[in-house]
Amino acid sequence: MRRFLDAIYRVSGGIAAALILGICLLISAQILLNLGARILGPGWGGTIPSYADFAGFMLAGASFLALAYTLRMGGHIRVSLLTQKLTGRAALTAEVLCLLIALGVTGTAGWFLVSLVQESVHYGDTSSGIVPIPLWIPQTGVAIGMGLLILALLDTLVETIRTGGPVLPDSAEE
Amino acid sequence: MSDPIVALVLLAVLIGLLALGVWVAIALIVVALVAIVFFSNAPAGLVMATTLWGHSHSWALAALPLFILMGEILLRSRLSQDMFSGIAPWIGRFPGRLLHVNILGCAIFAAVSGSSAATAATIGRMSVPELKERGYPESMILGTLAGSATLGLLIPPSIILIVYGVATEQSIARLFVAGILPGAMLVLLFGLYVAGYAWTRPERIPEEPAHSWGEKFYAARRLIPVGLLIAGVIGSIYTGIASPTDAAALGVVLATILAFASGSFGWKDFMEALMAATKTSCMIAFILVAAAFLSISMGFTGLPRNLAAWIGSLELSQGALLAALTLFFVVLGCFLDGISVVVLTTSIIMPMVQAAGIDPLWFGIYLVIVVEMSQITPPVGFNLFVIQGLTGIDILRVAKAALPFFFLLVLGVVLITLFPGIVTWLPSLMGR
Amino acid sequence: ETWDMPTPYGDTTFHTQNIRDFADDVKEATGGALEITVHSAGSLFPHAEIKNAVRSRQVPIGEFFLSTLANEDLAFGMDSQPFLATSYEDAAKLWEAQKPAIEKLLGEQGLKPLYTVPWPAQGLYTKKEIKTVEDLNGLRFRAYNAALEEFATLAGAAPVQVEAPDIPQAFSTGQVEAMITSPSTGANSKAWDFLSHYTPINAWVPKNIVVVNSRVFDGLDESVQQAVLDAAAKAEARGLEMSKAETEAKVAELEENGITVYEPSEELVAGLKEIGDKMLENWKSTASDDAKGALDAFQQ
Ligand code: NA
Ligand code: NA
Repeated sequence: MRRFLDAIYRVSGGIAAALILGICLLISAQILLNLGARILGPGWGGTIPSYADFAGFMLAGASFLALAYTLRMGGHIRVSLLTQKLTGRAALTAEVLCLLIALGVTGTAGWFLVSLVQESVHYGDTSSGIVPIPLWIPQTGVAIGMGLLILALLDTLVETIRTGGPVLPDSAEE
Repeated sequence: MSDPIVALVLLAVLIGLLALGVWVAIALIVVALVAIVFFSNAPAGLVMATTLWGHSHSWALAALPLFILMGEILLRSRLSQDMFSGIAPWIGRFPGRLLHVNILGCAIFAAVSGSSAATAATIGRMSVPELKERGYPESMILGTLAGSATLGLLIPPSIILIVYGVATEQSIARLFVAGILPGAMLVLLFGLYVAGYAWTRPERIPEEPAHSWGEKFYAARRLIPVGLLIAGVIGSIYTGIASPTDAAALGVVLATILAFASGSFGWKDFMEALMAATKTSCMIAFILVAAAFLSISMGFTGLPRNLAAWIGSLELSQGALLAALTLFFVVLGCFLDGISVVVLTTSIIMPMVQAAGIDPLWFGIYLVIVVEMSQITPPVGFNLFVIQGLTGIDILRVAKAALPFFFLLVLGVVLITLFPGIVTWLPSLMGR
Repeated sequence: ETWDMPTPYGDTTFHTQNIRDFADDVKEATGGALEITVHSAGSLFPHAEIKNAVRSRQVPIGEFFLSTLANEDLAFGMDSQPFLATSYEDAAKLWEAQKPAIEKLLGEQGLKPLYTVPWPAQGLYTKKEIKTVEDLNGLRFRAYNAALEEFATLAGAAPVQVEAPDIPQAFSTGQVEAMITSPSTGANSKAWDFLSHYTPINAWVPKNIVVVNSRVFDGLDESVQQAVLDAAAKAEARGLEMSKAETEAKVAELEENGITVYEPSEELVAGLKEIGDKMLENWKSTASDDAKGALDAFQQ
């Protein structure tokens, strides 16, 4: 189970990374076209239709799909000056409380993101640029990312209670 | 409940959650939910989903992960060490020595990137490990980085000047030009502070060996790759081949090519850089959308609007109005992200400002400097988050290190108020 | 009752000023029973989210640029179809023709249109005088939607996507060399800083629309409903006058600041009209029945 969950976080993090690379490649291709137009004349250039929209949607996917991976790697920022001083039971209580609050928030967010996707599907919402991109596609990526974060928080909660203390790496360990 | 009490309740919730160790993004969302559920009529869940989605896919934001990736690549190649060994002989005898690299590096990078978070992440990624290893005091490394990275907002291109220009219909071209001299002024102020620090505490600044002119020029050859990178990125923007957002992608491509060419960089390093960049940009993006949600919840409750309107009702003189607004923005900037503060309050503030006879162009630059302060004040300051992400050092400690630079920004505001020409002279050359 | 109203444009835009007057009218007519808080410049929701926010009752009322919905149905985009309706009279006639289709389409999403206000007609901005369509050949031309991209291609220009805030930089660096936009946008972005020529080709007259959520509206007292409708009718008339005044003032401002303002030559107008006709043929082949019905009504 541990290995399975870790694999899920790694894969979703990997997809997020691929999306960031995708943004980079898409924009680079556009720069090449601009350069071509500048050197060889306008006939050699061109615009990748709606490339700004595509880049934005890939960014949304990357940001949300990496949430769970980033959590497990200790990448999300928190103030630890005060909680560092806690030990034993107090440290455990604080960590469990944090995880429960986070679960409440992400659970609510996940629920309403799913209803956002449903609404986009129902009305057939699309982006307003040159290429009409159905909005449910990038929104689904966002909702899945939030779902994975909920999974990672639950996983962390179970692990924390089982081991009796905080399990996430501190972001200081670089 | 009256506005001040609502504000106090929300503040207490925010500080309590952060002290408990709740992740910053989650804490911001909780405060926003409390604000909407208890102090407005809007449906909190739907608004949250719309905002998380609506603010996650902006084109301007797409540059952020790319700049971070560029920094990670440079860190893992020999290029960032080369940059330091190339510069060291030149400024090694200057009071403050290599600390100036942080300031100048941020200033140069600010000419490429429109955001202070990207500036802090990219420059800090390279400079912090290098300066630490050479034995510079931590507080000065963090302070110069946190402070100078705010220049990303003032030196063009600048996201916040675009936001201000669009909201108030000021010419963005003029705002950009107006930011140049104040940006240079802040670089000078920061540099003088570092020199003064080194002057009074010489024992804290590590020795750098003396070099002959020949050695200096020989060492400078190591600057060629990074010089090419900077020239390529800035050149692409100013020849119109790439927009400022596009330029970030070019930065990644050039950094990758140069890193591979330097010989010490392989595919494994590239993958590591990519995963690290994914993690950092995810952290920042999550906080950004959470901050956007908090900002919108404030729009629904009307707190910042009412507070701004209250200041307006005092009918202050020009000087007193600016003093009151500065205090207002600093306090609000502690808890909201700076761009949100501008967006939430311009409707109320601009008529006041224009009635007081303040030039809206000047006011835009004033606002940016005030917003720069908000980037380094706790608990909500984006440069603090980025630097904690880079170094693992707690935001409160980073904020303490950045405090002198906060006061230098205040001094900057005083200077442009006393000498408004610093802002208005360059744009006045552009014709009417 | 208090309504939050998100709008996309800044406080100095006449649309926003008109909406503030509308809010005042509603407050006065209802004796304070309904108050509207205007959140301008996208401060509550980004432009792209405003319609859906009203649809799902996150806010009861909002404003947006009508033709951004053109991808949903071409009927929404008719006012941004180049050279279809080129004067305020045409635009008013087009809105009458469009209205049944728009009311039906928005009605399916639970939205009720209150009123529309046109922007000044769109003119051509360049760095040199354009005498014929051939002069556009090879120019890098700003395009931000499918219709404009098609227009640029048919004119032999190279379409380039530039987001609105990036326009000054894009011109200064040569990334784009020509654009079509209103005199308001040109004057407000101080176009004289980065280009030199303007000609009022009146390419199209786009509109902003104010919509209200039908269920929220139906829940109002009948007297309040009537007050809102009356204020909307007043705002529509006032907005049109503001738009006309704006056109004159902004063209004068362009000229005062050294931009060469010239009347388009007959050849240019004829050439552009030809492109417009071609585009309309293509438009018909993909338009929905609602949209075609609206076109027929307009062309009668
Ligand atoms: Na900048
Ligand atoms: Na702050």
